[in-house]
Amino acid sequence: MDALASLAQGFAVAGTPTNLLFVLIGVTLGQVIGALPGIGPSAGMALLLPVTFGLEPVTALVMLSGIMYGGMYGGTLTSVLVNVPGEAASVMTAVDGNQLARQGRAGQALAAAAIGSFIAGIGAVAALVFLTPALAAFALSFSAPEYFLLALLGITATASLGTGSAMKAMIGATLGLMIALVGTDPILGTPRLTFGSLELMEGIDFLPVAIGIFGIAEILVSMEQRQAAQAVRTQLKDMWLSAKDWAECRMAILRGGIVGFLIGLMPGAGPTVAALLAYVVEKKASPHPERFGHGALDGVAAAESANNSAAHGAMVPMLALGIPGSASTAVLLAALVLLGIRPGPMLLTEQADLVWGLIASMFIGNVILLVINLPLAPLFASVLRIPYSYLVPGILVVSLVGAYAISLSLFNVGLTLFFGMVGYLLIRADIPRAPLVLAVVLAPLMESSLRQSLMLSEGSLVIFVQRPLAALLALLVIGSLALPLSSFLLARRAARRAGVSEALSHSSD
Amino acid sequence: MSPLRAARPFHPLLKPSALAFALGLACASATGAAMAQSAPTGPIEITTGTSPGGTPDVLMRRAAKILNEQKIITNPLVVQNRTGGSWMVAGNFVMGKKGDRNVVLCIAQPILTTPITQGLPTLYDKLTPIAMFIQGDLVLVVQPDSPVKNLKQLMELAAQRERSLKVAGAQAGSTDHMVAGLVEKAGKVKLNYIPFDGGGSAQAAFLGGNVDLMTLTPSEAMPLVTSGKARILAILSDERRPEPELKDVPTAKEQGYDIVWGQAWGLAGPPELDADTVKFWDDAIAKLVANPEWQASLKENFLRSKLIPAAEVKPYMQKLHEEHLALLRDLGLAKQPPVQ
Repeated sequence: MDALASLAQGFAVAGTPTNLLFVLIGVTLGQVIGALPGIGPSAGMALLLPVTFGLEPVTALVMLSGIMYGGMYGGTLTSVLVNVPGEAASVMTAVDGNQLARQGRAGQALAAAAIGSFIAGIGAVAALVFLTPALAAFALSFSAPEYFLLALLGITATASLGTGSAMKAMIGATLGLMIALVGTDPILGTPRLTFGSLELMEGIDFLPVAIGIFGIAEILVSMEQRQAAQAVRTQLKDMWLSAKDWAECRMAILRGGIVGFLIGLMPGAGPTVAALLAYVVEKKASPHPERFGHGALDGVAAAESANNSAAHGAMVPMLALGIPGSASTAVLLAALVLLGIRPGPMLLTEQADLVWGLIASMFIGNVILLVINLPLAPLFASVLRIPYSYLVPGILVVSLVGAYAISLSLFNVGLTLFFGMVGYLLIRADIPRAPLVLAVVLAPLMESSLRQSLMLSEGSLVIFVQRPLAALLALLVIGSLALPLSSFLLARRAARRAGVSEALSHSSD
Repeated sequence: MSPLRAARPFHPLLKPSALAFALGLACASATGAAMAQSAPTGPIEITTGTSPGGTPDVLMRRAAKILNEQKIITNPLVVQNRTGGSWMVAGNFVMGKKGDRNVVLCIAQPILTTPITQGLPTLYDKLTPIAMFIQGDLVLVVQPDSPVKNLKQLMELAAQRERSLKVAGAQAGSTDHMVAGLVEKAGKVKLNYIPFDGGGSAQAAFLGGNVDLMTLTPSEAMPLVTSGKARILAILSDERRPEPELKDVPTAKEQGYDIVWGQAWGLAGPPELDADTVKFWDDAIAKLVANPEWQASLKENFLRSKLIPAAEVKPYMQKLHEEHLALLRDLGLAKQPPVQ
């Protein structure tokens, strides 16, 4: 009841006209920033930090956090429409979202993403209201060994990500791991595979890889095909979720939201990892896993629900402990410091109005975002009525400007083009691209947490099963490896038997 | 004099992202320049090498805000994050702007240490020094239930078995790492230093009870101390801090261990910057340091603002470089040949 009373107070704070206005400004900006590749929510928030100087702390925070979760909604747009992830957390959305768009179902994809984000967002804020202190303790029980096993789980799951052979998916993942090796050694600080290049010292950023491999590669492939200059023909009224679509997405949103929130809680994982794992979980749970990669609406819903609830989940360690759970919450913390408020475990009690005002504003912001996104989904989707050949130059410009914006350097533009060619070759070789991108995201987490774990345990592997959470994750990893293997062996046996009987039947002819 | 420590980002997690449009903002106004004949005209970029939210970034944004608001500098000041290469991208950007009056570089620890650890040419002696004007202290904290009550007991515990005491900190060669090196040297012990992706991840590892010891800034440590999640063993400054929260914290020196280390930030211009522009900045920073709003904002975070003006900053930087080089060499992280 305490929480409810505080929340009511929070709504009183967030409900003042000024604060409402700034929530609206924040989420609208977030929507736009999220849709532009390259500039993610964290960079957008930092850009607007100076604007918040004159404002009340609450007003500043509700606006900045609006950009954060608004970005999660906005990132969907470019992912679905043109297969260029608007921000890192939308990569998995691009996989199925863009396939859907090609089938003329962009409207449904966008609507499912918006509804999923909304439900997951509201759920996550509700969890924030009641569970923040307890969840903060959970977040801390995650340390190096758990992160390693989580990342390992993600990598092993890539085998199931492709639409074709598991071997090809693993090839993709291995390429991704190789890309992630470039840069400074996370423990020793020595340069690895940088060839003396300063730009490579901090490794290859994830965005040039994602933009290149998804967006640019797509354009390269399209140049080979004779363009019939025909656009996706759809009617506005067809771009709406049917009852069947909704039934398909319901559970995906629930699962994605929960997975996303839990991963968002952990300082060190973030919305991108959350979306990736939620997608994998959904593929396993879905009644029609074969559709994943070819335009599965529930895949889009799961990934988008997850990244939004993760963005909210990251508020838990930030508010309860003063530890950022993502790049965006790091900027929020910086904003607090700039406003003269010291973040830390005392924030919840010392700045109750601020914290509860912020939490209440997230309810309001999510509602605004739903209202913006839902009716506009068909409208945005109708961009695709423009023939692809006219869209291409625009996509190229947006992609390359996005690549430039990552660190204001042309190096990343070159890198993006390079990965565009890599992506083209992958398409030609029929190697799925998502595992590669997933591996690039997970590899740094996997590597440094493995080495940290072994340093913590002074070299003993027991650390990976000693702690209850770690042991559970270890079991999941083993399970995820053993299940496909056993089913593969069983299938082969069955096939051999069938083959034998077939051969017998042939010979009897 | 305490050497500089720096650039512990507030957030540890993700790789740099960047700001693209701030320059557009800068283009909007090329007026308000004629404050003095010798002053630079047009917007001025303050380049930092951290992503948004990192300590140097926050400090520079606050300085820029006060400089502009108080009309100390009327040129629009734009803080630009040029991340990559552990500040070398930012450093080299400014290095390439020879004589450019419209760009300055935020000086933080990696400007000194990255060239040492990566075996690159030094930057600090090629840039035009302007001033160092922000200093911060560091404290050593242990778990609240740790049996260790002071540095002596810490060293005794560490001496029982080599590498048995676990220390969390930021990347190899970071301030945290150097402090751990100083502790090892002062107590003649070996610690188990575990580098995390940044200060925030390290703090999470500490709060989760995975490590025994870590280095924090007072502003990071105080909230943890008041909520009973950490206990301060020592402050690594020359003297005790006057603030009521910190005045009872003994220095390492008092406890008989010569561990003095801190952090410092400032500004430098590109190579061959003209004397007029240096004077312009030198005057502006002197006014900033005298500004009560600036002083108050630093005090909130237990930072100090003592000015080392342009006239004195060169030997100061030289000394810092040598201290860092010596320490990093002790840690086996220096790739540079010894200074002749």
